[in-house]
Amino acid sequence: MKGILTQCRFEVIRIFRNPYYVFWSLMMPIAFYFIYTNVFNTELPDQDEWQAHFLMSMTTFSVMGSAVMNFGIRMVQEHTQGWARFMKITPFPSWAYFSAKMFGQMIMHLLSIIVIFTVGSIINGIALTAGQWIAAGAWILIASIPFLALGSLIGTMKKVETASGVSNILYLGLAILGGMWMPMEAFPPLLQNIGEWLPSYYFGSGAWEIVLGNPPELLSIAMLIVYMVVFMYLAIFIRRKRQV
Amino acid sequence: MSNVIILENVSKKFGKVQAVNNVSISIEKGSAVAILGPNGAGKTTTISMMLGLLDPNEGKVELLGKSPKQVAVRNKIGAMLQEVSVMDMLKVHEVLTMFRSYYSSPLSMEELIALTGLEKADLKKKADKLSGGQKRRLGFAIALAGNPDVIFFDEPTVGLDTTARRKFWNKVESLKEKGKTIIFTTHYLEEADDFSERIILFNNGEIIADGEPEDIKRNLTTRSVSFETEDQDAIAKMETVDTVMRCYEKDGVVYVVTEDTDFVLSELFRLNISAKNIRINQGRLDDVFEQLTGDKEEAEAG
Repeated sequence: MKGILTQCRFEVIRIFRNPYYVFWSLMMPIAFYFIYTNVFNTELPDQDEWQAHFLMSMTTFSVMGSAVMNFGIRMVQEHTQGWARFMKITPFPSWAYFSAKMFGQMIMHLLSIIVIFTVGSIINGIALTAGQWIAAGAWILIASIPFLALGSLIGTMKKVETASGVSNILYLGLAILGGMWMPMEAFPPLLQNIGEWLPSYYFGSGAWEIVLGNPPELLSIAMLIVYMVVFMYLAIFIRRKRQV
Repeated sequence: MSNVIILENVSKKFGKVQAVNNVSISIEKGSAVAILGPNGAGKTTTISMMLGLLDPNEGKVELLGKSPKQVAVRNKIGAMLQEVSVMDMLKVHEVLTMFRSYYSSPLSMEELIALTGLEKADLKKKADKLSGGQKRRLGFAIALAGNPDVIFFDEPTVGLDTTARRKFWNKVESLKEKGKTIIFTTHYLEEADDFSERIILFNNGEIIADGEPEDIKRNLTTRSVSFETEDQDAIAKMETVDTVMRCYEKDGVVYVVTEDTDFVLSELFRLNISAKNIRINQGRLDDVFEQLTGDKEEAEAG
């Protein structure tokens, strides 16, 4: 047990020492947020609602990024560098190692949520109830798990270059088509139809509903669970197949 | 003496390539064993099977009396493997703390530092920013973190300079004195000769010699007298001479392997063998290895 705690601690340290984390997961979404809500004049009828909506978009964008990019690519890295193989000769079980990595990721997501919420609310003075802030934060944290599953699926790739290329495309594709950069209503109908099948849309949707004062739709929860199961199943399937 | 490692008729194939072919090895507790062989001889595959990283296609592997995959076994072993880079974003002392936390009775940080020659200044550096030699020392420390009874080193000194190599082996010597079982692979005969009590010589996935370094050397590095002769009985005659270890003919030349070439020469004349082109061949230590693996290749070709 002590081993797991130590491992969790070091996983968190490793993540925070990574300069890409601070840049991609914190600076980028915050910069986007500032630009889209202050520099461009969107002339929307309800400015407050848009600002709260877009803060949720940028937070989910950030968290999805760390889950898909950071988690997956790092797994591939550890594999190619022989690290995963070396861990097998230590008495530390691989499930514990994986759990510690997940834990580190969740801590990272939590921190991203806190930082982006805080900075965003300071920039635009967003008025949400304490309950809404907490519910939105909890939703984003928990609903990030399907994206960790997607990350671990990317983590089965053999080359860092492939993993990084694929996860970049997936990440940006999911973010844009899922309505994280601009509301889906602004899309042509075809893209809207595609977007309505994407996990990123349901990830954002739950948080957007919460800031409007509604609970996340059941459909969002169901879709995310289905995606999680599919990603996990595929990741496990590929790993098993490779071991034979 | 109990055996800490037992390999019974172990074979491993990668696709069509037979990497290890029907190998049986027993290694006694507290011994230092070198697995020697040219590149591609099956050394790393064998070590990987001992460690449970690879499953043999055939045969049985036991480490400390159990399957090498058991946690209880892993708690008592340590290894330095090839092509393992260090976890990034962590400092050296953090990496060591992390590894020590995996084992039930790890070495103390002080002991680890003393045993591996890591320096105080190195401890605070990021592990992935270390120089090659420093990384190797860290790898050594990681291998010892759990205070293992059995330690594996897979080509531990490749790429190290002479000084670093000597330092490394001095540290290994001190582990031997503590009664640890040490298994290392190398393609340097000298290392195998200097630091092991037993050499297992591999070639083409098979064991071609197994014994004390002295024995292997004695059989192969002694000097020989060679000559050409018409005398059909020359070999039979020379075999009766004292100090002669073996006689053989190769390409029309008779070789008499001996510890005392002077004596063999005098006997050669005394026995009245009509010999031409008499030569004394100096056996070189470095040739042992080539000779053994070379003989093997000839045997296979023939």
